[in-house]
Amino acid sequence: MTETSAATAGTSAELLLDAVSKSYGDNLAVRSISAEVPASKISVIVGPSGCGKSTLLRIISGLDNPTSGQVRFEGDPVDGVPEGLAMVFQDYSRSLYPWMRVDKNVEFPIKHLPAKERAERVRFAIEEVGLTHKEKLYPWQMSGGMQQRVAIARALASHPKLLLMDEPYASVDAQTRADLEDLLMRIQAELGITVLVVTHDIDESVYLADRIIVLSSPPSVVAEVIDVDLPRPRDHIATKTDQRFVEIRSHVTRLLRSKEPAATA
Amino acid sequence: MTTQQHSTDQPHVPLSAPESEAVEERDAQPAPSTRRERAGLSWPVKVALRLVVPAAILLVWWLVSTSQRMGLYVVDPLTAFDRFVTDFLSADPSRFFLGDATYDHLFPSVGRALAGLAIAIVVGVVVGIVLGISPVLTGLFQPMVHLGRSLPSPALLGVFFFMFGTGDLPKIFLIAFSIVWPILLNTIDGVSSIGQVRAQAAQVFRIPGRDVLFHIVLPGAAPKIFAGIRTSLSLSLILMIISELQKSENGLGYQLIQSQRNFDYAGFWSVLIVLVILGVAFNLIFKFVERRALAWHRGATQQND
Repeated sequence: MTETSAATAGTSAELLLDAVSKSYGDNLAVRSISAEVPASKISVIVGPSGCGKSTLLRIISGLDNPTSGQVRFEGDPVDGVPEGLAMVFQDYSRSLYPWMRVDKNVEFPIKHLPAKERAERVRFAIEEVGLTHKEKLYPWQMSGGMQQRVAIARALASHPKLLLMDEPYASVDAQTRADLEDLLMRIQAELGITVLVVTHDIDESVYLADRIIVLSSPPSVVAEVIDVDLPRPRDHIATKTDQRFVEIRSHVTRLLRSKEPAATA
Repeated sequence: MTTQQHSTDQPHVPLSAPESEAVEERDAQPAPSTRRERAGLSWPVKVALRLVVPAAILLVWWLVSTSQRMGLYVVDPLTAFDRFVTDFLSADPSRFFLGDATYDHLFPSVGRALAGLAIAIVVGVVVGIVLGISPVLTGLFQPMVHLGRSLPSPALLGVFFFMFGTGDLPKIFLIAFSIVWPILLNTIDGVSSIGQVRAQAAQVFRIPGRDVLFHIVLPGAAPKIFAGIRTSLSLSLILMIISELQKSENGLGYQLIQSQRNFDYAGFWSVLIVLVILGVAFNLIFKFVERRALAWHRGATQQND
């Protein structure tokens, strides 16, 4: 486990947060967050609930503006949703369109492309998430885990450089969650996209991440940036019993506890 | 784990493998929910049950028609049906087996009702979406919408006659003006019911505005819009009759007034029969269209029950 400060991290940063803060009126939600998200890696933002993780993700995706500071995506300041960004929302049942079948949901963001390329991308994305033969179902005919796969396929179809995921597995059961974590790591390794996951689950953050950005309780700052050097491919049994995994997890847990006494209650 | 694909088209045998996919795929089958199973009645019993009340109504009608005092105004069902057949039906295939009254009164009435309905749907949905999308416009026009809605619109019939003469136009506009409100209010409501996350998803994927309108806003608001249209549909029949009670040369409302003035009670009751048939037909057509357009919605809501 190597610990680096955000300022001195590697040069291939896909996404750069520079003293980002956000306040709603007098209420300061995010104090000042500076971090680098390296290209073609999985980074995880972890923090106690209510620490402004989702706010931060909205700012990164350009859906919301920071009160001060700046987000840079591939060197350009983010102002509005940048091209090459896709997002998977926590609540699949509210982010998918229930009046479209699976293939139409996946195809919708790339409607502007020629039909042939569109069909090819949809086929590939659906195959990638393991939903072949399920294209003609409606999302509500599927279990939660499968719906979240549809949401992932929809994000993949747009060929993102940066995939943002907002608590993507918070609404599915533990077994499905483990499967979807492995799915994400396999896809990321295959396609080499940059992934930024927001979660409150410490296990998940250590298991998925190349880099963990630990946030403090609100008004949030970066408590620590941890580069996780656990070997890949990772496995739910071998990795999670790895001594280093246990160490990092304990370290993150201590960080979160010391910063957020309410979270232990 | 995702590399393995179970073939999924066949009925699913639960797998012994501990993968969650096995669980998921069992979940994934469309829910076998039909109303018949829920009600727990066989269909002959249900049909028989549905016929009880109409039969009772016919019996009461017949009893009333034979009573001393009421019999003066209430003709018996058979006479009324007989009159309905002679007026509204014919044996002429070239006229599609329809009688003079159908062409002279029923069709003009229905035409005006449908024209009014069409105007109300277009105006209600377009204005509703605009207001639903923009909180500023909603704030601006909300008072006016509630004012228009609570106005007893038949009171405006005179104004419409004054503005549009005595032909079809004032009647069509009266119908449209009176029934636009449920559609308008439901559309506003429907647009806001689509949900922030779906709107955000559209934004993140940089969906162009036209696609957002036709593929997200319209279908998302459709269940509520249809609920509004359903209310407006029954209102349109009421307004159709009201608009024909004055300054009219044809239509079912005109026929009602004329038959009453001429003490032609069989004619009067036959028009009522036509109105009942019309109401049922409107409703059936509506249900048919709604089922097609909102198949996804019925499935989705049944799933969540």
